[in-house]
Parts: sequence; structure tokens; C-alpha cells
Amino acid sequence: MADPIFVVRALVKSFGGLRAVDEASFDVSPASITALIGPNGAGKTTLFNLATGFIKPDRGSIEFDGESIFGRPPFAVARLGMMRTFQITKALTAMTVLENMMLAADDQPGERILGLVTHPFSWVPKERAVRERAMELLERFGLVALADAYAGILSGGQRKLLEFARLLMAKPRMVLLDEPLAGVNAVLGQQILAHMHALRSEQSLTFLFIEHDMEVVMNNADRVIVMALGRVIASGLPDEVRRDQAVIDAYLGAHGENVA
Amino acid sequence: MIDMISLAPLGQADFWLGVGVVAGIYSIFTLGLQLNVGLTGIVNLGQAGFMAIGAYAMAILIVTYHWPPWLALPAATFVAMLAGVVVALPSVRLRGDYLAMTTLAAAEIVQNVAQNAIGLTGGNNGLLGFDAAWQTIQVWMLGVLSAVGLGNEDQIPLFLVVWLTFGIIMLILVALQHTPWGRVLRAIREDEDAAGALGKNAYAYKVQSMALAAGIGAIAGYLLALNVTLIYPGTYSADFTFIGFAILVLGGLGRFAGVALGSILLWFVLEATRFVDLPLAADQVAALRLLIVGLVLILVMVLRPQGIAGKREEMVLRG
Repeated sequence: MADPIFVVRALVKSFGGLRAVDEASFDVSPASITALIGPNGAGKTTLFNLATGFIKPDRGSIEFDGESIFGRPPFAVARLGMMRTFQITKALTAMTVLENMMLAADDQPGERILGLVTHPFSWVPKERAVRERAMELLERFGLVALADAYAGILSGGQRKLLEFARLLMAKPRMVLLDEPLAGVNAVLGQQILAHMHALRSEQSLTFLFIEHDMEVVMNNADRVIVMALGRVIASGLPDEVRRDQAVIDAYLGAHGENVA
Repeated sequence: MIDMISLAPLGQADFWLGVGVVAGIYSIFTLGLQLNVGLTGIVNLGQAGFMAIGAYAMAILIVTYHWPPWLALPAATFVAMLAGVVVALPSVRLRGDYLAMTTLAAAEIVQNVAQNAIGLTGGNNGLLGFDAAWQTIQVWMLGVLSAVGLGNEDQIPLFLVVWLTFGIIMLILVALQHTPWGRVLRAIREDEDAAGALGKNAYAYKVQSMALAAGIGAIAGYLLALNVTLIYPGTYSADFTFIGFAILVLGGLGRFAGVALGSILLWFVLEATRFVDLPLAADQVAALRLLIVGLVLILVMVLRPQGIAGKREEMVLRG
């Protein structure tokens, strides 16, 4: 197996007396689709927030592609190539869909105020290239008809698609998706999963996604990481995890009816 | 009873020029606020402080150190921008109310220093004599104007310079708004976390926004100094910022041209109400004028909550 692209070791985060993430350790292989599962309150979203810099970890280590990202701010983590979506989408609602997309481009010199001065003529053609790429991605994600609409008029499912498409503008190497299928109708959900598989095979993109629907996890994930009460209690192939006694006790046993 | 309004002054050019000069200076001042509040989402209550720093730096360099104006003006603008960076560095990490309080405190500090650092600022006596070059320019401009029969309107030169300056700064800001840089500012205004998740360093952008606004405030400060010919602490009181916010709300958030409309409306109402002849004491009339401005603000908010030039969609869809 290739060296892992994402390595978490003994990661700890407490809120007051509560250990939201408690000595969590796991690896994610490059170009894999890995599911992060666990009952509500297991610390999954907190783990995403720690990895992407939205919450400062207490201790432990987080490495992305051989580089420590422990405690780095969100923009720095994103620029290294690890990007995320949010459980409650963060579409920029008073900007158009196309503006949302173009904003995310990672290589626009006109984004820096000094760049406007030092590259007075190169950012305009660059803007054209960025727009073209944005339109291609919108086409791919079926949002092209909405390009000039304010993102605020999009449905919940369309916002999830936009958030997914938007981060691709920045050419990430690893993507963390926080419940990409929650509140999305079945058709859109299947599209999102299809995009994940296609991007993984085309661009060797690595995915780590939080999901509650066990059927989706079993059918789509290469590997599964299970959290409960802040700890990583199991990780492995979907079938191994399904038979793991600790998982059954901590999670499947307690909430079996949610999981069928 | 009430000796109805004497409307005669409204027909005089003097009145309109006077309103125009003040409204123009406030418009420039508020362009800086528009950049911070309307475009970046930073509630900067310290803009009057940056205005004061710029004006004092200009006057001190010219009067005390005998710098030529063409050197003193850019240097003073740089000083104000530096002050913007110094205030921004620790404060723009704060959100909402906390940031507002910090910037307001910074402006109060500036005013206290202006009052008490007498050796530097002249204290409450202020600074005079920084406008010798302007006097020369003014005389020259009036000479040119007399050729078209306007030589007697001695407010015209400042009026022209003020609105020309406003136009240039507004065009630059509108152009900046439509660059990728401006797009990042708008994203930060809407959702700083989303911008961060997309690799944008919101902190650095906010510092830049504050520095630019401070520089614009300084330019408004020079023109105000030319209008009142004396720089003293009261010229640049923190109230200035609040009038700026009223203009911002009237004109519409995020619209640079709206600033001029808001400012003209506000100053027209403020100055026109001077001529209402009421059986009241002077301080009562002053309070009444502000009351009327308040009513106008409420009226605009009821009839056009997005402001005169604001975009309704952006107001409704935001957040």
C-alpha cells in the first residue's frame, strides 16, 4: 500500500471537561474513498474542524502529505491541497453561482492587491481562463443554467453540489466532505457519489467523507473509520468493520435500527 | 406662531456650494467606510481617528518641519495607512461588536493625544498656516473662474477639488471592487469561514482594507482642514464616523456612488433646516435638526431598506 496521504496520531481536543476527540489515530491512503462513521456526538465533525484548522487541537499530530498541519489556519491548510465542505453549506448567498466558483480559483494573481499592480495585464486574461474552467465545472455538476443566479436561491442539494464543485476550482489533492448526502434527494445524492468516484479515478483525488447511511458507506467506501465518544474504535475494509465486535457494541448495537 | 421657513437662502449659490463642499468631504470620508463596512464587513468606528492622524501629520510636516506640500501629502497619507495597519493587526481578528469597540477606542486615543500632546499638535489651540500653497492655488483658480464670471464665488475652487477627488477615489474603488481582490473582500464580508476554507487569508485582506480606508480618511482630512483652515481636536471628533455611518445607510451598503447621494441628502437636510425660523433656543434648534435627520433616516429605511442606491437582492440574500 502507498504511503498514507493523511496521518492523524493521538489527536486530543477537549471542550471544558468533555473530550470531543480523545487520542484519535488513523491513516488515509492516497486516491482512496474513506468513510468516517460513528454515532452522533462521536467527534467526526470536530475531527474535520481540527484537521482543517477551524478549531485548534490540544495535542497530537496531523500530517497531510508528509507535512504537519497541526494548528495551521484554515486558509493555509486549504492552500496545501486539503479542502473541505461543511455540514451546513456555506454558499456565498449574495454572490452569483459563477462568482462563487471563480472566487475559489487558486492561481489568480489579481487576488492580491500587489498582484494588481505588478501583474496589471496578466490577471485579466487569467480571469477569462478562470471563468472558462468555472463554466466547465458547472457544466459537469449540472449547475450551468444557474451560473448567473445568486447562490442564495439554490436549493439545499444544489448548494451541496456548488460547494463540492467550488472547491475543485482550487485543485485540491484531498477533500473532506461533511455529510455530503444529508438533506439531498436520492438522485442528487447518487450524482454526488458518482462525482467522487469519477474524480478519484481521473485525478487520484482522495476523499474522506462523513456519512450516516450504512448502505452508502458499504457500497462506496474503500475503507471505513469508526469513531465513538471521541475515539477511533475501528478502521478497515467495510466488511471487516461491519463484523468488528467493538463497532457492533458501541455503535451498531446501540443504534441498530438506524443502520440497516 | 411659527414664522414660516424663509427659503431665500436655498436660491443662493453660496448655500449650495457650502453644502456641496461639506457633503463632498463627508462623501470621501465615507468611501473609506464603504470599503470597510460595505465591501469587507469590518465595522470600523475609528475612521475619524485616521482622518485626524492624516490631517495632523500633514500639518505638522508642513508647519513644523517645513516640508513642501507635494511631499507632506503622500507622507501623511502613508502615516495614516500605517496607523490603519497598527489598529487592524490586533483588532480585525475580533468579530462584530468587539472590533467596533476597539476601533472606536483607537479614535478616542487619537483625539486625546491631539488634545494633550501640545508640543506636537498645539493642543486645543490647534495648528494654523498649513494651507499657504492652497491659498495660491485658490487665487489662481479664482482668476481663471473670473474669466467666466464666477470670480466672486470663492468656494468654487475647493468645491471642484473636493468633488474631483471624490470622483477619482470612487472610480478607483469601483474598479477594485470588480477585480478578483474585490471578490475576495465580498466573500469575506459574507462568510469569513467559507473564504478561509477556500484558501483566502481573511486576516490579511481585512488589514489591507483598513489601511486603504485610513488613507482615504486622511485625504478627507486634508480637504476638511482646507475648508476650516484650522486643525484642532474638535475638527475630527468621533461623531464624524457616526455621520459617516448614517450616510452609508442612506446611500446603500456596497454601492460607492450611493455614498455621494446619501451625503448630499443628509447635508441638504441638515443645512436647509438652519433656515427654519422657530421660537426656540439655538441648542434646541440644533437638536431639532438632528431629529429631522433621524426622521429622514427612518423614512428611507421604511421605504427603501437597502438605501438609495443599494441592491435589494444582496441585502435579502445575505446571511
